[in-house]
Amino acid sequence: MRGFGDLEAAIMDRLWTADGPRSVRTVQEELSPSRQLAYTTVMTVMDNLHRKGWLLREMSGRAYLYRPVRSRQVYSADLMSEALTASGDPQATFLAFLRRLTVSEAEQLRSALSDAGPAPPQRSGKRRADPQA
Amino acid sequence: MTTALGLLAYAAILGVAAPVLLTREQWPERAPRLAVVLWLASSASVLLSVVLTGLIVALPNPAVARSVAALMRACVLAVSTSPTAPSSSFLPILGLVLAIAVLARVGYGFLVQMAVAARCRHRHVRALDLVARQVPGLGALLLDNAARAAYCLPGRAQRVVLTTGALAALSPRELAAVLAHERAHLAGRHHLILAGAQALARAFPIVPLFTALPREIARLVEMLADDAAGRAGERLMVAHALVTLADAAPPPPMALAAGGADTPARVRRLLTPQVPLGAVRSAAGLTLALVVLAAPVVLAVAPLLAGGDYCPLWISSALVTANS
Repeated sequence: MRGFGDLEAAIMDRLWTADGPRSVRTVQEELSPSRQLAYTTVMTVMDNLHRKGWLLREMSGRAYLYRPVRSRQVYSADLMSEALTASGDPQATFLAFLRRLTVSEAEQLRSALSDAGPAPPQRSGKRRADPQA
Repeated sequence: MTTALGLLAYAAILGVAAPVLLTREQWPERAPRLAVVLWLASSASVLLSVVLTGLIVALPNPAVARSVAALMRACVLAVSTSPTAPSSSFLPILGLVLAIAVLARVGYGFLVQMAVAARCRHRHVRALDLVARQVPGLGALLLDNAARAAYCLPGRAQRVVLTTGALAALSPRELAAVLAHERAHLAGRHHLILAGAQALARAFPIVPLFTALPREIARLVEMLADDAAGRAGERLMVAHALVTLADAAPPPPMALAAGGADTPARVRRLLTPQVPLGAVRSAAGLTLALVVLAAPVVLAVAPLLAGGDYCPLWISSALVTANS
């Protein structure tokens, strides 16, 4: 099953960017410019994804139509949240660069930096909240 | 017996004094790696002392007699001076149980923790590989999220993850600093040290050294990773990155205490130029660590090396029981 990891990711990516449910045939066609894929391969992988709880499917005519259970954004938020929440864990499941801060802790952080003096130049022109404001 | 008591006393003193000595000093900020070594050496020393105590009580007086004749003389002497059988095998068994129990408690706790964490990471990685985007050349996975966050998965997974919000907000040098920091965690296997500290604290919360260990090791490990960003100019970038990410970091859920209480201290450390400890003091520190580690072994073995003829407890008690 290891080799299917890339394909699983590609299929999920297709379905997340699609604007509706897709059949196996459609997904295979959409993926085929970059990959040579047998229909049965795509079918197996999408069936696996359904079994693992990533995809919903409904019968339409003689084929299944598949769509993701949740949007990519929701999964992303969940993953990020899990990592940050567990970052304080003593068994070091994840190691976050910055653990979650309350508003006042973030304020202290900002003032600690601005106490040290002006920021060095060479910023690439992106907007940032002015700590003095 | 005096050796055993001596070892226990040493363990008790070290277990109480070491955390006090190590936390009140400022030098750990300048040499976090040495500080970690000393914390770990002290903890290993305490553990070793207790295990050796158990072994000494379990296996007292291995015969170091210079000859069979000398051994026989020693045993005749022992039996004649104490005709009643000593309180036989109760103490040695206790000693053996102590030694095994201490090692098992820590070892089992550590393994269980590692297994739980590994399972959790495995689940997370399977989802990451589907949900996150790979960006060639970035060296990190990207999660579609406006909130700014960066984290790594240690262990087998070895992934660094950024949110798109973080990527958009960080300047190129800040980004390099963040990535260097996370990679330092991965390369240094810091999760193992942290898990070990937690296992000790959980196994024997009665020892002040162990209860202080997780918190202090966590602080020092962050310093180590901060320092990995490189020269002083780049360490400043770590501080800037912290502030950048703090600007729109996701707030903590209500139920949890925020974990960022020591972050201002971390920023202040990054903003003050750190004078390295110097070769002499570093060498002294390392030597101290070695002494602390060797002390229990020396204490345990010294009576044997001092020579003299002992009659092993099991021989003398066997003789006495046979006589009566």
